[in-house]
Amino acid sequence: MLEKILTDKFRELLRLVFADISNQQDRRDEEEFSKDEIRIKEQLLDTVEPYPPDTLLEDDFLVAAVDGSGTDNLMLLDDIRVHLLSTATVVLDTNTRSEKLFDPISAVALEECLGGQPHLDVHWHSGVRNDAQKKMAETLETIYPLKDIIDIILPFFRDDSNGAISSISDFTDTDYEKHLPELREMESLISRAQMLTNQVVHDELRKVSEYAAARNVLTSDLRPKYLLLDGALSIFMHFVKKYPSMPSGFILRELASLARKEGVVLCAVSKNHTIPFAHRIAKMAQDVFGEGTKWFCHLPCKDDPGGGLHIIEDRTYIPPRLAVPYLFSFSQDNRPSRIDFDRIWWLENVLVRGDPIATRQNEKALFRDLEFMSRDARWYGYPVSLALAHEACKLSYEDLRLAREICKDVRHEIGLDTRKTEPLRADYNL
Amino acid sequence: MLDRDNLGELFGKVGVGNQTMLGIMGNNRDVSVGEIFMIYSQRDGHERVFFFRVLGLENYLRQVDDMARVAGTLMVEGDSYLSGIERNMLLSVNGRMLGYAEQRGDEWRFMSPRRLPDHLADVYRPIRGKSDEEVCRMLCTQTDGNVYVGDLQVGETTLDVPVMIPSKFLPMHVGIFGSTGAGKSNLMMVLIKSIIDSNLDYLHSPDDEDKRISAFCIDPHDEFAKGVDKYGIQSVIEAMDDGTRKKVINDFYYLTTHKKATPREIKRYTKEIRILWEEIRPRDLYSIMEFTPQMSSFIDSQFNLHRERWVKEILDMEKDPDGTPSGTLNAVQRRLRFLERSPIFIESGLSVLGEIFEAMESGRILVVNTSLMSDMEQFLLTTIVTRTLSDMRRALKSSGNLGDFERQGNMRLPQPFFTKVKTQAKAFYRKGGVGDDSEVRDPRALPVILVTVEEAPSILNPELMRGRSVFKDISRQGRKFNMGLLVVSQQVSVLDNVILSQMNTEINLRLGNEREIRACIENASVNISGFENEFRVMSRGEAILTASYREMPLPVKIPLFDTVFERDRDRYKGKGAKKSEKRVL
Repeated sequence: MLEKILTDKFRELLRLVFADISNQQDRRDEEEFSKDEIRIKEQLLDTVEPYPPDTLLEDDFLVAAVDGSGTDNLMLLDDIRVHLLSTATVVLDTNTRSEKLFDPISAVALEECLGGQPHLDVHWHSGVRNDAQKKMAETLETIYPLKDIIDIILPFFRDDSNGAISSISDFTDTDYEKHLPELREMESLISRAQMLTNQVVHDELRKVSEYAAARNVLTSDLRPKYLLLDGALSIFMHFVKKYPSMPSGFILRELASLARKEGVVLCAVSKNHTIPFAHRIAKMAQDVFGEGTKWFCHLPCKDDPGGGLHIIEDRTYIPPRLAVPYLFSFSQDNRPSRIDFDRIWWLENVLVRGDPIATRQNEKALFRDLEFMSRDARWYGYPVSLALAHEACKLSYEDLRLAREICKDVRHEIGLDTRKTEPLRADYNL
Repeated sequence: MLDRDNLGELFGKVGVGNQTMLGIMGNNRDVSVGEIFMIYSQRDGHERVFFFRVLGLENYLRQVDDMARVAGTLMVEGDSYLSGIERNMLLSVNGRMLGYAEQRGDEWRFMSPRRLPDHLADVYRPIRGKSDEEVCRMLCTQTDGNVYVGDLQVGETTLDVPVMIPSKFLPMHVGIFGSTGAGKSNLMMVLIKSIIDSNLDYLHSPDDEDKRISAFCIDPHDEFAKGVDKYGIQSVIEAMDDGTRKKVINDFYYLTTHKKATPREIKRYTKEIRILWEEIRPRDLYSIMEFTPQMSSFIDSQFNLHRERWVKEILDMEKDPDGTPSGTLNAVQRRLRFLERSPIFIESGLSVLGEIFEAMESGRILVVNTSLMSDMEQFLLTTIVTRTLSDMRRALKSSGNLGDFERQGNMRLPQPFFTKVKTQAKAFYRKGGVGDDSEVRDPRALPVILVTVEEAPSILNPELMRGRSVFKDISRQGRKFNMGLLVVSQQVSVLDNVILSQMNTEINLRLGNEREIRACIENASVNISGFENEFRVMSRGEAILTASYREMPLPVKIPLFDTVFERDRDRYKGKGAKKSEKRVL
């Protein structure tokens, strides 16, 4: 392969692709971006005014974060896949008074509230028709602490309809009425059943595992000010039915609704965002505020004052439904990241209609906190609670190798046939 | 079952490694190179405690792959912090497995490293005042003996675990290696005091012959008696009541060239070193300086002709005798002239050699001030004493009864000397009766005699050891006569292999350079490869004691002489006096 990669022919192939991207997408984006440039520079971008390093907060607060990991291939038993899911919750105390900033609360206290950390789950399904959907629904029901499906689905409709739908009876005479029977079972909430590849199943399970861990934080006595998730607050919608195509969409809205009720700021931070022209926004911030300044930039949707940005007009999931994305950078050495907030919370707590200055003050206060929690030298610019949660939940190659060995042992212990646990390709040294 | 709490503080877990080298992940504590950790293991139901010596340390931060980047961020981003870092700050410790202790019945046995501790076994850091007793019990086979050297060192501190050398191994020679300022003089003083203590113990329990040790201690800087700081061997002597002193040193312990120049308090226990020319044998000179075959042949012929008068005869000759190559006489006379100038080697008068012999056969120490002697005088004195004592013991070993012994003595030793000491010698060597047919004792039932060879490379070098050196025989056969050399040297690399290979105990102090460190490691009686870094960071008074009869290289801190004297001074006051704390091993 290497001899091909090193050829001029391969370089020529790449040259054509990049020229193509530049001619088509970049030119279009450039045109769109130029329409937004002034607005971004003058209205949407602003600096973070950080707390001084020796700040003493009047009220120290807790920051919680949840992250998950896993594999869709813990073990392959012919056509049966065993998935492994892990989640980790980290709770830190700003602790400005004792000078041990963002000190993790004791492991004992954490486990008393949330159970053992990190948490492991397994799931399996076979290749039998509909088995993936059925088993996934069963696992989701087991994983998520809220069991009543109606309670799970209603927050989405309530938020999406701006409060018009707040109970089952409100479905009458709506487009949703005909789908009501499907909305009563976890299995029928999976409306992308035809696309249930292993990866899709695994992603759904993993997302819901993380949401379940986050819900446990909200229902615990911990009372954090912030609850951070890894990723985005995006919901994948069914284009015909106009509601989430997977249970995780409903569950996320239920979680957001509970967070609002508990007075917890729910947000999701995404390093791997797909915000177009993020690098140009970063460059603009650097030009406007100077190098090294910490900044944020609101990415409004069409319903916000001033309307949506041209640059993201035709993007499918940006801005995400019922969420408000921002780009931010707290470290000049790193590329900007994205953070999503629950739109309903944002409308109630950040946006002040008709008062952009008050709105900006709210945003600045929010990002001031977020910046403060992102100064750990190991992951400077990224929220430390999320970084720690990531470290705690991640499954290394060695972890997985051992987990597979233990699978083999357990099968042997319970009298089942022992099989090789390595991926099948290993048999052929591939 | 062992009470693990007594091992010390729980420090960490065994990570990677094999039966020789281990990697331990431990708490972020102030650990130093050289510390000894204990690893508790219970593999297959076998309870064992492995001993591990720290050779290298590395800071380890969990969740950090690039420490330099984090340090850089802390520098550049002044507002940065490290959340909950304390629990992630670990110490990665690597080092050498020293061996393991295993209990068999009531006794602990110590084995060379030939097993591995269990997976993730707990690692304990010994604490002084808590772990001493347990460590002492587990290492008893590695630390017990009669001659106290120092305390077991664990890093920069010590445990109350005395490290001793058994007297029965002293005839297999002891090496003390260390550069200037490494603490050799203090160690010698501590050893002399330990020998006195052992002899005192013998006085209290005369059945234990092992405790009787004699030592002929060369003091090239005249500091043992007076001491370096506050106290010296003289303080020990003065702390004794008259009765004890008489038994321990009789009427002298200090030998010097000029008695008049000796401080008054020491003078009382002093004798002047005087050796008669007639007590010198040609071999004594062959052991300390090089002679051509013609010269040694000439000396031998003169010795055969004139026996004890050979030195005087040669020095008085005016021309080469017939058959002797021209110039030989001159060359030999040039080499012997220092005897004429020497105040200690005398043609006539009273010799002290007989009293030295008597002291050495009685279990006594002699401190020999050689500070005013030339190198050659010092070497010749050491040689004559060594050869005389070994020839006496050799004569004894070759005899079945006192009659045989007298014949052997007359044959092997200078006639006038033997005539003078034979009555006393027979008293030492007889088993019961006094008649010629009375049985003699085995030399191993007599006191161990230890002769110091200072500046050892000057006489224990390969050139002199190739010839008819007295020390070559002692190196090889000393154990038969219960007589050993205490070789003191700044260098190991220049010593002859005969003595190095026969040496069973080495006290390795701080060394001067890489070559000596390498030589010291190669010469050690147990494998101490990997200890190079240790030698580089050793402080004054710190040593690694290696012995072929022990499995574990023992890090030892030699206490200051003043400290041990102050601790033990009460024990010298005779019957009624309080005995110093008895160390139970």
